[in-house]
Formats: sequence, structure tokens, C-alpha cells
Amino acid sequence: MATAVHLEEITKRFPGVVANDDVDLEVERGTVHALLGENGAGKTTLMNVLYGLYEPTSGRVRLDDEVKSFDSPRDAIDAGVGMIHQHFMLVDPMTVTENITLGNEPRKWGGLAVDREAAREAVVELSARYGFDVDPDAPVEDVSVGEQQRVEILKALYRGADVLILDEPTAVLTPQEVEELFGVIEELTAQGKTIIFITHKLGEAMRAADEITVLRDGRNVGTVAADATTREELAELMVGREVLLDVDREPAQAGEVVASAADIVVEDERGVRAVDDVSFEVRAGEILGIAGVDGNGQAPLVEALTGIETPDAGEIRFLDEDVTSASRRERIASGMAYIPEDRQERGLVMDFGLIENALLGSQHSQEFGPGGRIDWPATREHAEAIIDEYDVRPPDPEAGAESLSGGNQQKFIVGREFERDPKLVVASHPTRGVDVGSIEFIHERLLELRRQGVAVLLVSSKLEEVQGLSDRLAVMYEGEFSGVVDPADTTEEELGLLMAGEQPDSVDERIDSGTEQTAAADSTGGEGA
Amino acid sequence: MAAAGRERQMSEAGADAPVGSRLTDTVAAYSTRALAGGTTIAALFVLLVAGAIFPDSIAGTLADVLTSRNTLASALRLSVPIAFAALGGIFAEKSGVINIGLEGLLIISAFTAIYVTDLTGGIWIGFVGGVLASTLLAGLFAIVTIEFRADQIIAGLAVWLIALGLAPFASQVIYNGPNTPTVPTPDAISVPVLAELPFFGALFSASPSVYLLFLSVALSWYVFERTAFGRWIRASGENPKALDTAGVSVRGVRYAAVLLSGVLAGMGGSAFSLDLGQFTGNGPTMVNGKGFIAIVAYLFGNYNPVGAFLSTLLFAGLDAIQTVLQLRGIGIPRQLIRITPFVVVIVVLALVGRTQTPEAAGDHYESGEE
Amino acid sequence: MSAADRARAVLTRLVEASAIERILISTAALVLSILIGTAIVLVAGRMTTCAATDAVYYLGTGFCYDPVVVFDRLFLGALGEPFSGNWSPDGQFAVTLRETTLLVFTGLSVAVAFRAGIFNIGTQGQMVVGAMATAVAVLWASSFVSGALGTVLLIPFGVLVGAVFGGLYGTLPGLLKAYADANEVITTIMLNFIATGVTLYLVSGPFKDPGSAANQTVPLPEFARFPSLLFGSRQDFSLVAFAIGILAIGGLYYVIEHTAFGYDVRTSGIQPEAAEYGGVDAAKTVVASLTLSGALGGVAGAMYVMMILGTFQTGLPSYGFDGITVSILAGNNPLGVGVAALLFGILKSGTTVVQFATDVPPQLVGVLRGLIILFVAMPEFFRLLGRRLSPSGPERNPVATDGGRREGETDE
Repeated sequence: MATAVHLEEITKRFPGVVANDDVDLEVERGTVHALLGENGAGKTTLMNVLYGLYEPTSGRVRLDDEVKSFDSPRDAIDAGVGMIHQHFMLVDPMTVTENITLGNEPRKWGGLAVDREAAREAVVELSARYGFDVDPDAPVEDVSVGEQQRVEILKALYRGADVLILDEPTAVLTPQEVEELFGVIEELTAQGKTIIFITHKLGEAMRAADEITVLRDGRNVGTVAADATTREELAELMVGREVLLDVDREPAQAGEVVASAADIVVEDERGVRAVDDVSFEVRAGEILGIAGVDGNGQAPLVEALTGIETPDAGEIRFLDEDVTSASRRERIASGMAYIPEDRQERGLVMDFGLIENALLGSQHSQEFGPGGRIDWPATREHAEAIIDEYDVRPPDPEAGAESLSGGNQQKFIVGREFERDPKLVVASHPTRGVDVGSIEFIHERLLELRRQGVAVLLVSSKLEEVQGLSDRLAVMYEGEFSGVVDPADTTEEELGLLMAGEQPDSVDERIDSGTEQTAAADSTGGEGA
Repeated sequence: MAAAGRERQMSEAGADAPVGSRLTDTVAAYSTRALAGGTTIAALFVLLVAGAIFPDSIAGTLADVLTSRNTLASALRLSVPIAFAALGGIFAEKSGVINIGLEGLLIISAFTAIYVTDLTGGIWIGFVGGVLASTLLAGLFAIVTIEFRADQIIAGLAVWLIALGLAPFASQVIYNGPNTPTVPTPDAISVPVLAELPFFGALFSASPSVYLLFLSVALSWYVFERTAFGRWIRASGENPKALDTAGVSVRGVRYAAVLLSGVLAGMGGSAFSLDLGQFTGNGPTMVNGKGFIAIVAYLFGNYNPVGAFLSTLLFAGLDAIQTVLQLRGIGIPRQLIRITPFVVVIVVLALVGRTQTPEAAGDHYESGEE
Repeated sequence: MSAADRARAVLTRLVEASAIERILISTAALVLSILIGTAIVLVAGRMTTCAATDAVYYLGTGFCYDPVVVFDRLFLGALGEPFSGNWSPDGQFAVTLRETTLLVFTGLSVAVAFRAGIFNIGTQGQMVVGAMATAVAVLWASSFVSGALGTVLLIPFGVLVGAVFGGLYGTLPGLLKAYADANEVITTIMLNFIATGVTLYLVSGPFKDPGSAANQTVPLPEFARFPSLLFGSRQDFSLVAFAIGILAIGGLYYVIEHTAFGYDVRTSGIQPEAAEYGGVDAAKTVVASLTLSGALGGVAGAMYVMMILGTFQTGLPSYGFDGITVSILAGNNPLGVGVAALLFGILKSGTTVVQFATDVPPQLVGVLRGLIILFVAMPEFFRLLGRRLSPSGPERNPVATDGGRREGETDE
């Protein structure tokens, strides 16, 4: 078999970040190759290099053994590389035909008019050849997401693509559409096309790919044949093993239920249930972990709990009160601290200095904003205390948030939230993109809170982290809890299976007893799920 | 970093726009328009019938005014600057550049057309001169927004203010007063026989600018619906990245579209002043908000050249009617009639919410950014 | 700790740089606009005709207009001839302060909305509504009081009425934006036309002064107008109104920098997602800031009626639109608004001096206004210029004027 695509020693640096570090990738003609990895592992960057959107800092791209250098996607397209982005590059109000032929419209009358019949015929002919089901005359915004994706694929084929890159193609599809997509992929490879698809779902990689390459932190950590690997192996490759300090974890002194969620449903814009009937409770002095591969509903669940979003169904209780429709401000005031997943988008106002950022969320509090007037001296002291206590560097309250490193930004947020004197801390990926020293520091602080009797909900896709810190561990898959287990007596293999949506036999019982257990232990609290 | 963040937000916003809700938006937009249009037609019908039965009532007078060929003629005349500017606005905004400076383009071309005509004695030379001036100003706007990433709204305001100062300034310098002397006006073109028709005869006996407008509306429609360039403009405003990855230069398309908006608005401004034979530059000048009404007209016409023309005709018709009514001494306050289009716009906006603006309008686009 | 100290110094410099950069850009925009204005004056001076003795000569070419005289009159004239030795508070300087006072309010009005991320083009309309309401309400109330007591009571009353009605007129686009997602740029432009139309109707009908041919309300009695302390009454300037303007600058600065509401406004203006996270109610903030913005516009209207005109007449000067310029030039900072308002007050007041002293048409100032906005809107241009100029090192002096001429050549 011939090698269709060969990426050699690709390194791509952005200011302050190495997105790809010496990555090699070889793909055989007529096969499907999955690029598997967590968010931020560098998959999309690598493919953007192949597609001519980025120029690699070093390394070479070979197509059919010929070294290529692409200045723009145009060059890549001319060389037969097509990319279907996660966010479709379609013009919504235009028809399917107009989108497919955009930029390469067949003309008539000396170029003065688009030959619409010829364009339509080309599209009909092309979709017939690959057995695609598309309506050439429908506006793209009126067709299903699955059909939009087929339009994107046709667009690439219309331009003569031999190698097709699919970026997270299943992220936006329903299960039925995913099956259809896999059918399409089979048909394409049968006709000699080469497919690379980017995914973080290991089940899909196993199902559709011939070979799988796993990326982690910008490095290729292994290429395996799909029929010679296991889900557990892939899951471990993906999340890796970080050397964690062995923290002293005395047994949990779980107390009263602090927060609970019952039958929470959150729908995304398409009406698909991103969170599907999830119930849990968190007690004082315990850490409830939520593990899972990114994008399985953790983010919308956290947003519903913290009051950023309102759930479409279900009830959220906090300190024995129904807070389902309480505003974010009310929740902050009643003692809910929240470390958001995206610190630069939400957690900090990047144009503000640290003093002003120390106020975020407390601007209406008695302590810093009595009577609507902000007590800046007190706020400044507060910022200095956070900086001091949480070892934020540089130790300058006037410094702009933007000028801090990721780890220091995160420590500042952690400090601000922990110093609220919270009853509940919701920590969403608290150590993502943070240096090792800061990780240990944040972990210690979380355990310290637990000792003080604070309830902690910890969401993370790092298996080591949730397993090492949690007292109980829920695993989320496709919007549901695929299991709630005791992390101490669950193996990584079992967790890997749960993260992949499988039910390991050995855990089955414990899952049931796990949920029963919490319900049973809840006799003092009263209302169950 | 900030730029990258914005870009990210942008692409997310684009991708997250739920297919379903956009669809309902469109439906709502159409039904509101249909409702407004239907109500207007029904009201007209009732009025005409009532007028026929009671010729001496207010309804009778109104019906008389409405069916008068003079009303249609003056509505067409009033439409010329607004509709041309609206066409220009459509080109710019569809490509992703909101051109709020149409008012300024009208002003600068209205003055220059008279000045050049006065200088050379040729009406058509003056017309071309006006178009040229407007295109140059639009070119400056294009450079500032596309090259130097200026905020489109603020830069558009600047274009308006510059022209608002420059035209009367030049008039003062050259003619010692904000108003120019009069120049000869173009003769009306009459189509034999058809011009004799009652009411609709006005369509066939009008200033050349009216025919030019008809032609431009048709041509603009053709460009958007039938040519590759028209599609690129739409793509550039809806999803510039899609166009970019399809190998077409977004910058090039946007430059062309903004310059075209200058040409079209320039035709409107030139025709406007040349038909009257004078430029008056007191206060808000003779253009007096027509550029802003043009924006409303194309929003109301849903970015369709024909729709924009029809809604212009509706606004201009209201204006024409109120002038006639005023002359006949009917006591509906003129000032209140005049604000109806603006009230209608706000009501429509409130009902429809977000206008169907091109997805990427107002956003700067940098090729190759992720 | 020397490394940390160094890092700290660098950071401090960075933080200061953004504020300095803003001031630099505003100054550069101003200088550039004046340069282009000079070019326009020279070109215009070639296009008109004058006696050879009236012309000035630069580089052997005769020009009918002298830009040096123009800008001398524009600035020194507006300040009331500070170097002539017979400066008097009753002269042109009073006019400058009068214009400045109104521009302070409209500038603050635009600035507060901008800080919340809202582009309020409707200050003009809010001012018109405030002015009309004040004229009618104060006229009505003036029949109950009189004399000095009347002044003391009516002035706060009139300002309050202007604020309330202007504020309500600002609430409208706020509600439309917050709850119907209607674009505020379009709604506020529409509301400007509506305000003009409705007040024109009211003032030509129900509230028309029967004793006047103009469309205006019955003039207010003298005691219902701002008293002219120190400055004499000739120029319709009142130190009281000016003082209220200064208070408003300080007040808004305080609100924005020192209150929870101001914090909410600023946060949602620059990073809405973070504001949401920090418990800011986006819809309420939009409505509240547009209401405050409208109230400030309304106060400008009240000032215009009670200080300058003494009645409401159609066709109010475009202080509202000037407010946009003032705010943009000031970087939407209340303190900056004070400076920018003074600058534009000088430009507006100097216009009449230029008109009197030279043949140069006063609309020149309108052109300058447009140019300033245009340049301030494109910071990228100046950054590019700065980058291009600075690496070329010592042999070139990287000043804005240096590049300005180049820009002038390509643009004109």
C-alpha cells in the first residue's frame, strides 16, 4: 500500500505554547486514520498544518512522497487535500449547490452569469457517485446537520480532494447520523479516498478507523491498529499519567447534604439533551468527582448548577432551598464558589488589574460593596491577601490579569473563590493548562477545604486527578452518569470503560449500591432524588 | 490575544446559531413584513372604496390624492436618492461592511454634481463627477475599515460628518454661500402613448434618473441572484471564512462592494441635486437624513434590491401624500405622518428582534486567522 | 528580588502604556486632523478669488486663506484673546464655556453607554425630549413662584424634568435591546427622527407660543433661567450650569469607578461572559445604563433651554452628535470627556470668531470633527505607523506629525 500523507517531525509553536511537538504521522491511501486526543492535545493544529492554514515551525508535509509547502488552504486544495471543519464553512442562506460550487462556479455568457444548470448537474452527479443523499436546491440552513456535513464533504470532493480531513465530525451529529457518516466514510475509502478524522471519542475511533494515532500535549504518544487495541489502552494513552504527590487523604467526614440536583436536563441549541436526567448530591466535607472525556455534558451541568444557565427540567437545591431559577448573583451571595473551565473568558476580566478582578462576584457584597459603594482599600487588601496566600506571581495587585501566566491566573481565581467562605465549591477543570507546581498547590487547597467541611464538586477529565481527590466519583458519558463509584476500589481500566460508555461487569453492582447508598444515607436529609 | 479571542467568539457564534431558531427568525421576519404589506394594501383598498362612495369626505380626498398621477410622479422623484443609497448599502453590508455613512456619500455627490455641472456646463459630466466624489469617499472608508480595522460604525459616522462639513464648506468657498446657484435640470423623458396613461403614465414620463434607478435595481438584483460575484458578496458577509477557504479573497470582495456602494450612493446624490438644479447646504443639507432612511429601507426590504426599492417607494409615497394633503389643507399633522416610517421600523425591530443582518457584518476579517 | 523587581517595572510600564497609548492616539488624531485641515484651507484658498493684496504667500504661491490666521483665531479667539491684555470674562471665553457645558453632558451621555458596550446615537433625541419637557414643565411651574426663590426652585426642577424625560426616552431603546434584541444603533437613530417630529408637532401646535411666528414655546421668565454669575448675561453662560457640569463629570467618574453599578457596567462592556460569571444581570445593566445615558442627554436639553435659549425651539444644534465625538476622543473616560468637551467647546466657539475675522467658511470645523473621529476610530493605523517608525532608529524621529504628512498625501 502507498503512503498518501506523511507528516514528518512537525513542530508548531505559538507565542508561549508548543501546540505540536515533533509529531510524525503516516496515513495509507484508501484507509481511515483516526487522530485521537483530549481537547487541546494539538489534533486540530496538526491538521491545520496539513491544510495550509498554519505554516509549521519545523518539519515537512509529504503527499504521495512529494514534499509540499502550502501557503494557504488554496494550495492544499489544489494538491487534493480537503478539510471539513468542526464548525462548518457553509453560507447558511445559500443553497446546497451554491455552497458546493462557491468560488468555482461554472459560468456562461462569457462569465457574466453562473451556469446554474451545470452547477446543479455537477452536484447531482457527484452525490450520485458516492451515494449521498442531498437536496441540491435546499438552503443549507434548512437541512439537517448531517446533510450539512455531507455538503461539506461534497464541497471538498467537487474541488478534487483525495485526502479528506474530518475535524470532530460526530460532535454535532445524532447517533443515527453518526451511523450514516460511517457509511459515507466506507464508501469514500472504497473509492480510493483517504480519510483522517479527528476525535476525542475513543469508541468512534475504534469503530470507524483502520489505524489510530493518539496525541497528548502536542506529542504523538502512539499509533495503533484499531483491531489490535482496547478501549482501556486508548483511554490511558489519551489522559496519560501525571505524577501526583501522594496527598494525605484522611477518610471523608461527610456531613449534611449541601447541594443536590434532581433529574437535571439541559438541552443544547439543537434541542439535543446535553445533560440527560442527571441526579446527584454533594455533602459537606466530601469531594464528589465527575470524570469523563470532555464534551459529555459536564460543562452544561456545571453551568446549570452555578446559575449561568437555567436547566430545561429538574430541580437544584442548595442549603435546603430550591435555587433552580435563582440568579447567579443570589447563588454567589449564598455561598457557592465556582472555578470556571475557561479562566480567560469567564474567570477573569483580562483588561482589569488583579484588584478589580478580586472583586468579580463580590461587587454587591456587604464586605466590598456596602450600599452599592465599592470599598477599594478593602478590595486591594483582599487582592493582596489572595496574592500572598495563594502565591500569585508577580506579587503585584496592580498587574493586569493578562500579564500573568496561566498557572498564576488560575491560582488567583482559586484564591478568590476559596476566600469567599463558601459552602460549596464547584471546580471545573481547576488544573487545566497549569504548571505542575500550581497543580499540587491547588490540589492541597481543595483537600484543605474538604477538611474544613466544605462540599466540593470537582469536574475534570484528568483521571488521576479525580481519582486521587474524590471521595465518590461519577463518570459522565453522553449527558448521563454511566456510573457512580468509590474511586479507591475502582481500577483505571474500569473507569476507562465507564468513560467509553461501557458497563464493566465488576462495577455494575457497585454502581447500583453506590446510588442506593447515597439515597439511604440521606435519611436525615429527607427528600431523595 | 484579544483579536484571537474575538475571532473565536465570532466563529462560535456563527456555528452555534441554531438552525431552527434562525429559521423561525426568517419566518417571523417574512410574516411581519407580509403582515405590514397586507395591512397596507387592505387599508388602501378600503380607503379607495370609501373614497369612491363618498367623494366629499376625507377618504374621498385621500383616494383622489392616492390615485393622482402627480402623487406617483413625486413619490418616484423622492425615491431616487433613497433607493440608490439603499442599493449601495445593500452591497456594502451584504459583503460584511456596514456602511452607515451613506448620508455622507449622498451629500458629497449632491454637491459635486452641481459644482462640476456649473463648471463644465454638462449635466452628465456633472453626474459622473458626483459619482466619482462619492466613490472616492467610499474608498477612504474602505481603506480605513478593511485595512486599518476601524470600527465600521464609527468610521461611517465620520464619513457622514466629514461630508456634512466639506460640502457646505466648499460651497461657501466657491459660491460664497451654503447654497449653490441653479444649473439647468435634465429634461424628462416621455414614452409616447404610455405617458398618456392615467396614474401609471407617471412611470413613463420622468427624469432620466428615474429610469436609471429602475435599471440599477434590476442590475443589482441580477448581480446578487445570477453572478458569481454576487454570491461571493453574500458569502463574504455571511461566512467570510467559507469564502476564504474556497479560495476567493475576502478583502478584494469587500473593497469592490464598498466601492460599488459609493458608486450607487453617488448616482443617487447626483441625480437628486441635478433634478432640482441646486445644492442647498444649510443645517443637515438638502439630503436631510435620506441616507439613514435608506438604511431602514433596505433593512425593511430584507436586503433585496427590489424589496428595498418597494419600501423606499412606500416611504416616499407617504411623504408625497403628506405634501399634497398639506396643500389641500387636511388636518393630519404633517410632522406625525412623517415619523410613521420610523415608528414602523422600531415596531418591526421589536417584533422581529435581531434583523436578518449578514452573520459577519461589522466584523473585521483577517485571512488565515484561526 | 531584583529579577522580580525588574519584572514588576516592566509590568507597570505595560499597564501605563495602554493609558498613554490612548492619549497619544487622541493627540495624534488631533494633530493629523489639523494638518489635513491646513491642507484643506490652502486648497480652498486657491479655489476662491481675492484681491492680490489680501492673499498670503507660502513658497512663492499665493493663497486667499491663511491657515495660520485660521487656527490662531480658532483657538485664541475662542479663549477670548488671553494674550491681548484685555481679556474679559464676558467675551468669547464665556461662549466657549457655554458650549463646553453642553458638550460635557452629551459627551458623558454617550460615554456611559459606551462603557456598557452600547452605542447610543440617540443622545440627540434624548436631549430634544429633555429640552421640550423642561421648557413646558418650567413654564407651567413658573406661574406658581417668582423671584430669587423661583430661581432656586425652578432650576433644580427643570434639570430634574429634563433628566427624567431624557432618561425615559433612553429606557426605550434599552428595553428594546435587552428584551427584544433590537439593534440600538438603528433604534436610537429612528428615535432621533421621532423626537424631532413629535416635538415639531407639539411646538407648532399644542404648545406653540401664540405671540411668535417661530415654532417655539412661550419664553421662560427671566427668573426661571440660569443666573449669569460673574460672566455677565451677554453670552448666555452661567457658572452654575458649568459647575453642575463639573459635578456631573466627578459624579459619573465616581459612579463608574467606585460603585458596584459602575463595576457591572464596565465588566459587561468589555467582557460579557465574565460579567455573567460575576453575577451581573446583563439585561438590567443594559436598561440602566441607557437610562442614565438618556438622563444625561436630557439634562443637556434642560441646560440648553434654561441657559441659552430661554424657550424650546425646533432645530436644536447637534450637541448630541458632537457628544459622540467628544466621548470617542476621550476614550469614553468621564475625566477625558471634560478635556475633550473643552476642546470641542473651543472649536465650536472659535468657529464664530473665524467667521468674523476671516473669509474661511465656518463649516471647516465640521470637517475637522469628522476627521478626528475617523482617526480615533483607527488605532491600528497609528500602531502600524509606530511600528514602522520605531525600528528605523535614531536617524528618524518617530513623531506623529512625521507620518501625518505621508498620510495626508495618500488620502487627499
